[in-house]
Amino acid sequence: MGTATADDAGVYRVSDDLALIQTVDFFTPIVDDPYDFGRIAAANSLSDVYAMGGIPKTAMNIVAFPLGKLEKKVLREILSGGIEKIREAGAVLLGGHSIEDDEIKYGLSVTGYVHPQKILTNQGLRPGDCLVLTKPLGTGIIATAVKGGLASEKTVRQVTEQMATLNKQAAELMHGFSVSACTDVTGFGLLGHLAEMIACTGLGVTLDCGRVPVLPEALHFANMGFVPAGAHKNRQHRQAMVTMAEDFSPILRDILFDPQTSGGLLIGCAEKEATVLRNRLRDGGVEYAEIIGYANEKTDEKIELQ
Amino acid sequence: MAKLIDARGLSCPAPVLLVKDTLEKESLQELTVLVDDEACRENVTRFLGSQNFEVLDTGQGNHIQLEARRTSTANAVETKATAQQTNENPDGSQKILILVASDRLGSGDDTLGEKLMINYLKTVKEMGNDLWQLVFVNSGVKLTTESSAVLQVLQEYERAGVIILACGTCLEHFGLTSAKMVGETTNMLDIVTATQLADKVINIG
Repeated sequence: MGTATADDAGVYRVSDDLALIQTVDFFTPIVDDPYDFGRIAAANSLSDVYAMGGIPKTAMNIVAFPLGKLEKKVLREILSGGIEKIREAGAVLLGGHSIEDDEIKYGLSVTGYVHPQKILTNQGLRPGDCLVLTKPLGTGIIATAVKGGLASEKTVRQVTEQMATLNKQAAELMHGFSVSACTDVTGFGLLGHLAEMIACTGLGVTLDCGRVPVLPEALHFANMGFVPAGAHKNRQHRQAMVTMAEDFSPILRDILFDPQTSGGLLIGCAEKEATVLRNRLRDGGVEYAEIIGYANEKTDEKIELQ
Repeated sequence: MAKLIDARGLSCPAPVLLVKDTLEKESLQELTVLVDDEACRENVTRFLGSQNFEVLDTGQGNHIQLEARRTSTANAVETKATAQQTNENPDGSQKILILVASDRLGSGDDTLGEKLMINYLKTVKEMGNDLWQLVFVNSGVKLTTESSAVLQVLQEYERAGVIILACGTCLEHFGLTSAKMVGETTNMLDIVTATQLADKVINIG
């Protein structure tokens, strides 16, 4: 499997019952606390394996660090945060590579196992399928407000925990359901990733925007103009695929395009199973899981916001 | 002449932060902000709007001029207060959250308990601005449905700005999801967050 449909990771079939999923991701700090940054970056890297239906097995650190400027302790904390998440995922850290750089960067290269018949991709949504989202949106907007020194400690803590939460539980719970497509919501925002999901499928989707889980503070900060440049880029790139009423809230629209760090899974699933899946996710601790829309009867490859 | 902030060449959120810092330092009635892309145009316009400025938007392409004029006399730079969020309301009131865990108040006689709960919810408005949220869980959610004797009272509270939440799992449990007539359906994380943010939580039921 290659890069044609913009999937989350690469897959290599080893045998009839084993394929490897490989992925790599790293970025600059989005929270001040080094340990939390490590947890978030690792959760984000591991997420691609979960989005493809796999189980993470091994991980390698990728690190850029300004040794001259910052204490080594900071680096140790970042790596410890990462290890916490690798352990929680049941994977092992094999090693890694670091370079000296002016700006901190951290992430993982992750390898996971999947049965070749059980690979999930962002393609495959069927007419009538429901869409389930497992984490609330708004991390990009809140991170922007954090940069501006506007977010309260409580808000920082809440958004940190969301971003550091593995998609492990959600991925395990969706097994056994009739899942047709899956991806994780990251840099392109919910609408960007949903657009990838329906591109070339000939399907249209309807989003019930009132049901999309959103971190409450994100609405507040979007209203104050703390929308990251990435959200606007995402919108420019995909607005031709999105239809909405003229009076649709520009605040909510920006949140739907907000780039997410370590966002939730976006799961396409048979309509008759969707409520059970949603409830099972919630009972299993995936508190924000919600059915947010469905593949409608249209064939226009458009996302209709309602 | 209005103060001029040239934020051209900066990308989000830098222009908003520049305007915010300026407003925190100086008490301005008028200012003009120059930006050079659409994203910043929207963000700065929104920010000024949230600070009680009326914005006149001129120019195009990479020369966008936002002329802002304060609309209310209140010095509305609330950003500092927002940063310290949120336990102190500007008017000195506190935030009381009432967790209503049953459709009756106390135990002993159920009919009496129901009456007492109705009476409590009708009287609770005496808390005035301190009343922040009413959160209904377990059989308490019945009070948010069409057959509730306090439905109108709760709807009035909601219109007055009291946040009313009903536990989604509980509504589903009682088969009342579609019967709820007031408030937002919520989940346990929201309830936990709300109880944490509140200055005082009162548990009744």
